[in-house]
Amino acid sequence: MAQKVAIVGVGQTRHTSRRPDVNDGELISEAVNAALADAQLAIKDIDTVVSGNMDFFEGHYLNDAMLVDYTGACGKAGFKMNTGGTVGTMTFISGCYCVASGLSDTCLVIGWEKHDEGPTTSCISTIADPSVDRPFTVGALLGMALICGEYMNRTGCKLEHAAMVRAQASENAFRNPNAHLRKRYSVEDVLKARIVLYPLNLLMVCPTSVGACAIVLASEAKAKKITKKPVWVKDHITVHGEYNGNHYHNQFNLPGFPRTTTQMVAGKKLLQRNHITKPLKEIQVFEMYDPCAFVQMSWLEDFGICGKGEGWKMVEKGVTAREGAFPVCPSGGVLCTNSIGDSGTVRVAEAVLQIRGDAGEHQVTRDVKTALVSGFGGAFWTDLLLLSRTPD
Amino acid sequence: MEPKADVELITQEMLLKIPYRWSTGEYIGEFLQELRDSGRIYANKCPNCGRFRCPPWPVCGVCHTRMEERGKWVEVGPKGTVIGFSVVEQSFLVPTTGDMLEVPFSVGIILLDGAPVTLQHRLQETNPDKIKAGLRVEAVFKPKEQRQENIFDILYFRTI
Repeated sequence: MAQKVAIVGVGQTRHTSRRPDVNDGELISEAVNAALADAQLAIKDIDTVVSGNMDFFEGHYLNDAMLVDYTGACGKAGFKMNTGGTVGTMTFISGCYCVASGLSDTCLVIGWEKHDEGPTTSCISTIADPSVDRPFTVGALLGMALICGEYMNRTGCKLEHAAMVRAQASENAFRNPNAHLRKRYSVEDVLKARIVLYPLNLLMVCPTSVGACAIVLASEAKAKKITKKPVWVKDHITVHGEYNGNHYHNQFNLPGFPRTTTQMVAGKKLLQRNHITKPLKEIQVFEMYDPCAFVQMSWLEDFGICGKGEGWKMVEKGVTAREGAFPVCPSGGVLCTNSIGDSGTVRVAEAVLQIRGDAGEHQVTRDVKTALVSGFGGAFWTDLLLLSRTPD
Repeated sequence: MEPKADVELITQEMLLKIPYRWSTGEYIGEFLQELRDSGRIYANKCPNCGRFRCPPWPVCGVCHTRMEERGKWVEVGPKGTVIGFSVVEQSFLVPTTGDMLEVPFSVGIILLDGAPVTLQHRLQETNPDKIKAGLRVEAVFKPKEQRQENIFDILYFRTI
């Protein structure tokens, strides 16, 4: 990157099902104030404000105009992102562009969503081509169900493994005060939940949450004055996939045309160009955007973290647990907390806490020098980010 | 923050009911016209990478190349093989109609006979124990006089 980018402050609200006590702006203020306090900065110290959420979920268009008083963007540069599930990571990456370009010394990144205000799944369904695909689209859920079945067929993964992932996520979320679903579940509890859409049951899909998360970015010169514990953005990549016609054709092996996912492309490129050949050793934690219980396993493989068919075996052996050799989503992940506009920013913020050693009860037992973060959404698009304790 | 005990929490209801009219475009329009008039399903090929799309698609996303035009389309189906599926058990609001989805609602990714291409459509079978990858299915069309030039001119795919 042209200019090194540091994360100098993070702040998030607690996450929950409903927040009738605040409006959208008041919710945002909680995260903005927390991030500024963490950075020990005031809004006057911020050059640029980038916010992100999905307008349609709350049913008001161009909401960064209405919410400018709360975001702190008044009189400053900035813009708004709206890219589906990746909106949180894409908002963060957009903030990185501002600082890396040298045009902003400091940038405030805000992701938020208030899912208690609208019908999330119905709004998501409108991303599909209206003439041929939308009649079959059930928000983001149907695609998840299809690729989970594909993963089970291809690798021998069982429902029990998805239940293990969810039970483990519940242990992590129990320790994370900002997580939404903090109840502890056993593997048996998860398997007993009612089916939402086969093969996924209610506990195997992410919830709809209310929450906001803000992050303060700074240039190298500024960062060293602001904090003793900056976390550095080493690299990031965004991979857009072809519109699948929502037939998800790229998600299946077809005769003569092997399965190709955006996770595969992003993982290969990012690991290669950072010379990471042993990701399980060189990366110490992965805050993955995991919207359903199977994808933690299948995407570990697709990102190139482990070999094909090994994802579910890693879970079975406890490798991905908080105290395991390669912890995945020690925060509880998207499986336990999903306010879509901030799901990506929370992933970044949680990775920052792990690198700083500030994650408290859900701190992993490994010493985290390098963390991986992913975002997922849109037409199966992927963001992948590498964060580090050191700038080089 | 916990809400203050003495604050009355007021919410306001809003219902968005907004009419839209989408253009299907040249290729999808012709695809829907064929479903209506001939009861045939077509796919088309990218001249560069050789991959197929169904419904026929104007542009290959990977190559950014114009895909083959109508005269070169390949008839696929009506039989095919299920390679992926789900049965939706929980109802959701359907944004196109404003109605609740009638469940169980079964969706299949169908590898159509004739080309390495999939179509997403409804399966008649809604018992997940009776569907698996490899299941052979066949498109069932609406009677010709009832067709409405939309994707439901194919009613569903039935097990064969």
